[in-house]
Amino acid sequence: MLKMTHLSKVYRTEVVETYALRDFNIDVNEGEFVAVTGPSGSGKTTFLTIAGLLETFTGGTYHLDGVEVSKLDDNARSRIRNEKIGFIFQAFNLIPDLNVFDNVEVPLRYRGMKAAERKQRIMESLERVGLASRAKHYPAELSGGQQQRVAIARALAGSPRLLLADEPTGNLDTQMARGVMELLEEIHREGATIVMVTHDPELAARAQRNVHVIDGQVVDLAEDPRFHAQVQAGRVNI
Amino acid sequence: MQIAPILAALKKHRMATFLIAMEIALACAVLCNALYLVVERVRLSHVETGVDDDRLVAISLAGVDDAQAVDLGPRLRQKLSSIPNVESVAVANATPFGPQAGEAGFRIDPNDPVYRIQAHFYLGDAGFAKTLGLRLVSGRWFTADEYAPVDGFLPKASSLLVDADYASKLWPGQNPLGKPVLVTNLTFRVVGVVARMVRPNPSPFAATNSFITPALAGKGMASVYLLRVAPEKAQDVFARATAMITRDEPSVILDATASGPLTQLRDAYFANTRSMAIMMVGVIAALLLVSALGIVGLASFWVQQRRQQIGIRRAIGATRRDILHYFQIENFLIVGGGIVVGMVLAYVLSAVLMKLYELPLLPAYYLPYGALILWLLGQLAVLGPARRAAAVPPVVATRNA
Ligand SMILES: Nc1ncnc2c1ncn2[C@@H]1O[C@H](COP(=O)(O)OP(=O)(O)OP(=O)(O)O)[C@@H](O)[C@H]1O
Ligand SMILES: [Mg+2]
Repeated sequence: MLKMTHLSKVYRTEVVETYALRDFNIDVNEGEFVAVTGPSGSGKTTFLTIAGLLETFTGGTYHLDGVEVSKLDDNARSRIRNEKIGFIFQAFNLIPDLNVFDNVEVPLRYRGMKAAERKQRIMESLERVGLASRAKHYPAELSGGQQQRVAIARALAGSPRLLLADEPTGNLDTQMARGVMELLEEIHREGATIVMVTHDPELAARAQRNVHVIDGQVVDLAEDPRFHAQVQAGRVNI
Repeated sequence: MQIAPILAALKKHRMATFLIAMEIALACAVLCNALYLVVERVRLSHVETGVDDDRLVAISLAGVDDAQAVDLGPRLRQKLSSIPNVESVAVANATPFGPQAGEAGFRIDPNDPVYRIQAHFYLGDAGFAKTLGLRLVSGRWFTADEYAPVDGFLPKASSLLVDADYASKLWPGQNPLGKPVLVTNLTFRVVGVVARMVRPNPSPFAATNSFITPALAGKGMASVYLLRVAPEKAQDVFARATAMITRDEPSVILDATASGPLTQLRDAYFANTRSMAIMMVGVIAALLLVSALGIVGLASFWVQQRRQQIGIRRAIGATRRDILHYFQIENFLIVGGGIVVGMVLAYVLSAVLMKLYELPLLPAYYLPYGALILWLLGQLAVLGPARRAAAVPPVVATRNA
């Protein structure tokens, strides 16, 4: 489903070059639920933005669903984001000017879907996250957990095959976090591929597979001395 | 296609939307009316006089007193006729593009006690029609016995000629021949209709409200002389005429601003109109510039404010074109709202102008032009900010700036 080989990402500013990712290799199979962990600044978000075609990369190759994405133009990338990928962000990222219904509708409109089908899908996915009764509310009128559920509904409405979540529970308390996690597990059981970045070891443990990123590289926890060094320095919780 | 969600989002920005729409509305109202005035002025500068402009030389005298006038009129006519290349001479009270000497109120209904209507009454002697090159469309010219001496400011005559267009306004759908025109104690009857006779000072909305009455040169009729010449002789004849007057008639004063080849008087008259029109075009341009800057300012502010949300839209599937269109449609809707209000305001403003300056009501066809100009202006103004919005990269969604 998602395969990166020798991928690198360099951020250049006037003064420095930062290797956010270097020789990054990952292979996520269709239907997998992968949790990505790692210390702050290690490149997790960078990995997700490249995986989700929000950003281009500097070197290496990335195949998404068998397609080499570096060859795609901006419009094609937009279409793939719209049709194949669902995003869930730490900060929810709802559009504050739109109510819940209209927020969930946004990606469906960009897909050019007919109004009747849009409406059906929106109500289905809102019911799914238990917020059908809040369709006319604005984001500011909802709790953090509810906002994240709306964001999940928005990601689900387009029936994406790949769900990318960047610390989806990072802004939520334990109770709400658990609810969101259960929702993701349920979506996973229905066949979606999920890649989730998290700092929460408890949530990470519930995924099928854990991938650890340190200094822009995927590492094997047991073997990598850098990981043990980080644990000793207290920078990574196990 | 995205109109509903754009309107929904605008509801959250009512105040800014309202203010910019009102700015557009005001601009629309002023634009339509100013455009109307400019167009009418430009159109006026092409006004047809009904006389042979390029074949006429006007000589106007200032401060001719009655005692002097009695034989000055006939004498000068005689002397001017004998200047080489002068084909004919008319004595009159006024010339097109000179001062209005015969403006008067009148009635067309003998039972109406009030003089409701005003027009210019030309006084002309027997050479008037032929010298000016007037064309008769119905009725007849004056007969020799109809020319009368001037009493007060009008001849004691009983017939007059009227401009065709003006006649159709005074007596719509009726034959003007024989209709009465009452001024002070005199009653004139229309005996003929001329194709066109411009008033001395045509304005955008009153160019040909004029009558011609038959008068004899002499007392009250010795100030204006019109000479018919070949076009290329006009300048030369004018020079000879002024030289003759300075030499032979030391007691009269030439009114320089109302003397000369008629084409020159015409140019001088419209130089004013032109500078007025240019000034109004300047005002319109300034107004449009201010409106455009308002749009650019608000749109830029909104693009900045919505950077994150644009990133989110891009992340969940919007193409650059979708974002561009979003801002363009939004602008189209706001300007459209302004235009609707502006059309109403345009008529309110027009009604006020109508009262103050006696202008006719704004013709409706200016509204779509005004709307089109503002819509184009809006799209032009929003293009820069909209393109900046479209350039916001999708990664902005993840990196909270
Ligand atoms: N736009 C950018 N310009 C320059 N450097 C950047 C940019 N974005 C990220 N980086 C750098 O790339 C590295 C990886 O950043 P990234 O956001 O991927 O880390 P992360 O693992 O998601 O961290 P966190 O757990 O704190 O979210 C960091 O050193 C960061 O400073
Ligand atoms: Mg991160």
